[in-house]
Amino acid sequence: MSTVESRPSAPARPAADARRAPGKPPKGFDRPRFLKLFVGVFFVLLFAPIALVVLFSFNSSRSLQDFQGFSLRWYETFFESESLRDSLIASLEIALLTMLIATVLGTMLAYGLVRARTRVSDSLNVLMLVPLVTPEIVAGASALLLFTQVKLDLSLTTIVLAHITFSISYVTVVVRARLVSLSREVEEASMDLGATPVETFRLVTLPALWPAVLAAGLLVFALSFDDFVLSFFTTGESPQPLPVRIWTQIRFGVRPTINAIGTFMLVISVLSIGLALLLPRLLGRRESGLKVLLGREGA
Amino acid sequence: MSAIRFEGVTKRFGGLAAVDDLNLEIRKGEFFSLLGPSGCGKTTTLRMVAGFDQPTEGHIYLDGEPVETVPPYRRNVNTVFQSYALFEHLNIEDNVAFGLKRKKVPSDEIRTRVAEALELVELHGRGKARPRELSGGMKQRVALARALVNRPSVLLLDEPLGALDLKLRKQMQVELKGIQREVGITFLYVTHDQEEALAMSDRIAVMERGLVKQCSSPEDIYEHPSGPFVASFIGTSNLLSGVVENGCVKLATGASCVAQVPSDCPQGAEVHLSVRPEKIWLDELEEGMVELGGTIVERVYVGTTTQVIVELGPGMRVTALEQNTARVGSDNRWQIGDRVRLGWHREHARVLR
Amino acid sequence: MNENRFASAFLVPGGLWLLLLFVTPLVLLLALSFGYTDDLGEAIYSTRLDNYERLIDPAYLPVLFRSVGFALAAVVLCLLIGYPVAYYIAIFGGRWKNLLIVLVVLPFFVNYLIRTYAWIALLGDDGMVNGVLDSSVRFLNTPYAVVGGLVYGFLAFMILPIYASLDRMDPSLIEAGKDLYGGPWQTFRHVTLPHTMQGVLAGSVLVFLPAVGDFVSASLLGGPEEVMIGNLIQQQFQASDNWPFGAALTVAMMAFLMVLMVSYLRAAAREAKEATA
Repeated sequence: MSTVESRPSAPARPAADARRAPGKPPKGFDRPRFLKLFVGVFFVLLFAPIALVVLFSFNSSRSLQDFQGFSLRWYETFFESESLRDSLIASLEIALLTMLIATVLGTMLAYGLVRARTRVSDSLNVLMLVPLVTPEIVAGASALLLFTQVKLDLSLTTIVLAHITFSISYVTVVVRARLVSLSREVEEASMDLGATPVETFRLVTLPALWPAVLAAGLLVFALSFDDFVLSFFTTGESPQPLPVRIWTQIRFGVRPTINAIGTFMLVISVLSIGLALLLPRLLGRRESGLKVLLGREGA
Repeated sequence: MSAIRFEGVTKRFGGLAAVDDLNLEIRKGEFFSLLGPSGCGKTTTLRMVAGFDQPTEGHIYLDGEPVETVPPYRRNVNTVFQSYALFEHLNIEDNVAFGLKRKKVPSDEIRTRVAEALELVELHGRGKARPRELSGGMKQRVALARALVNRPSVLLLDEPLGALDLKLRKQMQVELKGIQREVGITFLYVTHDQEEALAMSDRIAVMERGLVKQCSSPEDIYEHPSGPFVASFIGTSNLLSGVVENGCVKLATGASCVAQVPSDCPQGAEVHLSVRPEKIWLDELEEGMVELGGTIVERVYVGTTTQVIVELGPGMRVTALEQNTARVGSDNRWQIGDRVRLGWHREHARVLR
Repeated sequence: MNENRFASAFLVPGGLWLLLLFVTPLVLLLALSFGYTDDLGEAIYSTRLDNYERLIDPAYLPVLFRSVGFALAAVVLCLLIGYPVAYYIAIFGGRWKNLLIVLVVLPFFVNYLIRTYAWIALLGDDGMVNGVLDSSVRFLNTPYAVVGGLVYGFLAFMILPIYASLDRMDPSLIEAGKDLYGGPWQTFRHVTLPHTMQGVLAGSVLVFLPAVGDFVSASLLGGPEEVMIGNLIQQQFQASDNWPFGAALTVAMMAFLMVLMVSYLRAAAREAKEATA
């Protein structure tokens, strides 16, 4: 805990170093200039395709090469098409249902994994992680097989079931990271003061947990809304979620409306992630959603 | 009827006994401390009274009733945790009112009692603040109020002052003692700080590795430690090893000290002679004192006192404590390297096995 | 203990769901892989190894190798691109760190299809690039396009873990390294790289796994020469309607990835356990 005081006899350091605050880049690295350029080019290339899509969604012509004037016609085409509208609503419904159910299941699972001591805890812990590393095509194929076996017709329901299955793990991971930092003593204090385990969960654990739960929920919403492969395998005839429609449209080469749909989906996804990052802070919590979500990253 | 009674209580984790055959009775209204180093079992004992752990063997009785089947939320005890464990999402008032609300106490009564509790811990008027706005000392008081407001029959305190700085700790010790006297509730206090235990307790149980080494009043434990562990854990003590010879203790240096040898230490028994530093006089000795000679090897000035370390012989050192009262300036008195005579009254030394 | 039973109950809903809707389908898939398709096109369970024998057929092995090759190429490229970016943001980002990392991640919330489609828009025969250069270079339907699509699709999975491990590193370590080793390259090799190895490995696995099974990039950006195992599987389940063979393909792919999956899971589970203890 002792702080090292600068000795007066230390050699004089360059002024720039003396002004440097802790956490700044280490001295002597003149890499930054080249690296900066690299990163700059990177960001340009990263955003270029997306910028293109967004820009040309407002193009008045079909061309992908010349921008011939601002127009909303492709958005009109999008929203005027009944089937595309149905698909949009379907995607939103699926995402909402998935978010609600996966959040509940995932939060409960996280609580059980952290607070309970059982013989199956370790296996459940691993089981919970497997969906995160399972390639989506495996997920999709196996889900399709299951539904066919139990004679469940492919529909929005099957999509929701599949989405939930693969969203639970995300919720559990995010909520668990938060739960672990919640001291057990607080829950013990609650019981010490007369609250039953159920009351403790309701009155003490959940209130402390909700930023993580919210962030996880919004993450799951975005993931579900954007999902393609799983939906592709488990979708029925109609309505199909938006990403599946986009696939069909791309295969048929009907281009310009895709720009509009894509831009629109981008806005929805950005909004929900933005909410996930900002909502905890806006509603009175100190830490940002970014920390909550990233807390577990880098496993 | 005792407030808490332990009968043959043992708690095992795996093969290790954290608490070993504990038999204690804590009286009503007593300020009782469990004192010992980390791992001695004091916190485990506390948790068993609270209900967070169950004894592997034995029984615990609260107010005469056995409590094995009673979960923590139904016991009439409350705990003050070292980490305060306040509810961050509630303000101070709601924190303190938490236990009362669970018991469905009517709201006007809650309001009165919460106000009383906050007055008691001198946090009157801070009711609407949030835990994160408070300092450590204030949080500790909230934790205390939150527990006391329920009028438990026993208050359990788990090293509650551990996280506070020295000055605040000393201040809180006095306050806690005062509150306990005022409220009259039995306090079961866990600490590793022997000064703290000595200052506040009516009785102390000194524990080591799951066993109670001595259970008595602070004065008794300090002046008459039952064994080398207690003697060295409580206060500082000089432990001189030697052998019983003709009613005296012969030290390794060859010097023979007259001492009160207990009956269970026969001729030739290996013992420790335990003398508190403040009981050792330097140079100006009185009649009838046990006398020894040595060389000063170190002198440590600690403000109120000076510790003088004297070497009696190879490997045998003794620490004497002299008060720095105005009339003697210590720097002129003893220099390192000086030969000095030291001594103590025979009744101030204890023979320990 | 009462509280333990209460907490244990919480494991049931999620655990049961995963068992029924995750594990069971996988088991079914494994079982079906030993089956066959009858004359009516129905998939029948059986105990034949025919599907697996077919896999070794020269027609299919190259596809698997190609998938692995593309995925590896994607990993290497993601590493070469992603590490410097993560490094820059973590070390030189200063107070813009959070904003920058959000900007990096933001494009990945555009739908994967749209992102891949955007490359068609850029590189297609009537795409932007050809328009600007007034040429007709064939960019698409090449392995480069497919790998590019994979890289663009999964880059975030490489950047985030590396960024996290760089961010966690004590900056004074680099300073000390510079004193010890002299040049920036030496410091990087001996100090930074070892400390971020965990992130590098995590990122590599998180890119490799989805990349191997991907079919979107190959479908949209590649031609018949660029078919990946994901495309094959997708065809079996949809166009060709040969589910048992598709199942076998899937199982084979999973078996191949199993080693990676298991080591990643063990590392992740161990870390989670240490955090909970």
